[in-house]
Amino acid sequence: MADPMLQRTNNMSPSSPSAWRTPTLILVCGCIILTLSMGIRHTGGLFLQPMTGALGWNREVFSFAFAIQNLVWGLGSPFAGAFADRYGAGRVIAASALLYVVGLALMAVSSTGLALDLSAGVLVGLGLSGTTFAVIMGVIGRHTTPEKRSLALGIASAGGSFGQFAVLPIGQALISSFGWQAALFLLACGVGLIAPLAYAMADGHKHVSGAGQSAGAALVEAGGQRSFHYLFWSYFVCGFQTAFIMLHLPSFAVDSGFSANVGMTGIALIGLFNIFGSFLFGWAGGKGSKKNLLMLIYGARVVVIGAFMLAPLSVTSIWIFSACMGLLWLATVPLTNGLIAQVFGLRFMSMLAGIVFLGHQLGSFLGAWLGGMIFDKTGSYDLAWLLSIGLSVIAAILCWPIDERPVQRAEPKPAGA
Amino acid sequence: MARHWRWFFWGVGAALAAALLVLIFLGYQAPELLLDLANLRYCG
Repeated sequence: MADPMLQRTNNMSPSSPSAWRTPTLILVCGCIILTLSMGIRHTGGLFLQPMTGALGWNREVFSFAFAIQNLVWGLGSPFAGAFADRYGAGRVIAASALLYVVGLALMAVSSTGLALDLSAGVLVGLGLSGTTFAVIMGVIGRHTTPEKRSLALGIASAGGSFGQFAVLPIGQALISSFGWQAALFLLACGVGLIAPLAYAMADGHKHVSGAGQSAGAALVEAGGQRSFHYLFWSYFVCGFQTAFIMLHLPSFAVDSGFSANVGMTGIALIGLFNIFGSFLFGWAGGKGSKKNLLMLIYGARVVVIGAFMLAPLSVTSIWIFSACMGLLWLATVPLTNGLIAQVFGLRFMSMLAGIVFLGHQLGSFLGAWLGGMIFDKTGSYDLAWLLSIGLSVIAAILCWPIDERPVQRAEPKPAGA
Repeated sequence: MARHWRWFFWGVGAALAAALLVLIFLGYQAPELLLDLANLRYCG
């Protein structure tokens, strides 16, 4: 039966041994991998209290390991992407899943801060680099037609969003039922499911756009394009805002006199609406200009955060804010990755997406850290909210001059890429 | 597959997905998760 949505790469004829790797199967497997990888990563914070209590650590020991994880995730993404582009995504995903599993297992038996830094920080961070957006989006991008690519990336992004939403309560249930060590081993088993799924993601991509280009040449080419820098810095802003809000919204609600339930429901609403937003903007990216949609997202964030600051604070305003921000949360992912594929081609999409994701992670690091620092210095989050608005204005302006046309190269025009 | 059956299965799937999302959303109201809110403030 003809695949209704996607297309095979040129090197996969129906009679080839890879014929069973239908594009729809690749999309489904990519979604499941992102659900597991992003979701299990999201439960990390739940282990703070039981681990620090059991091992006599202070919270700084634990949070430092997770700060390392976020940075290693960002720094490792370009390399994981480059390896996936060079040696095939399947191997990278499987090896990264193994690192992720080992990292979680060693985290369960860590007794010192250094051991936690190396397991939860370095190993899990490296595991995330090869099992999340940069690598997965590259495979999906290479197996989709330009018309359907944005929708497919949106569906995959919604998979990651669903993981973030769904696995958090499951992680807490595991800790409550079996204890934190057994919960970590069980979550490691969950990550282990990624390895067989990686087999479906093993793609050949010799015939995609830019096949004759080297990784170095692709880097030089992207570095010479202003649009690439605009994408990097706008993604930086996305990371800043999402990390700041996710980390500080619950405490903002509690500090404002509301119960913990209000902040937690806000986090749940962000997760829920994030699924719809990722899908919706992915679909819209296939219908219209992706850079205009990115401008719309960053502009809408200005309006939503501004209205939240100006409106009288109430339970309703926190929940409406959370739902609106949820719609705009990971909606940037399919559009940003789709633009990379559209402008720079598919051959080094994972590597370039990894570099842009590094910008996202640097922004996340600053958003999480500055939010706390501003609160400690000024006694309120007002300045951090204003900073988020200002950065969002800059991101919207940066998206305006992005050139969506494919870069011109001296090579034959590829078909279907 | 006949058109009406396709619509039927899509409808059932959508309803199940909606029910799953509601269940997960209710999972966020679990007392254990609320107690561990402090953890989320550190690690997101």
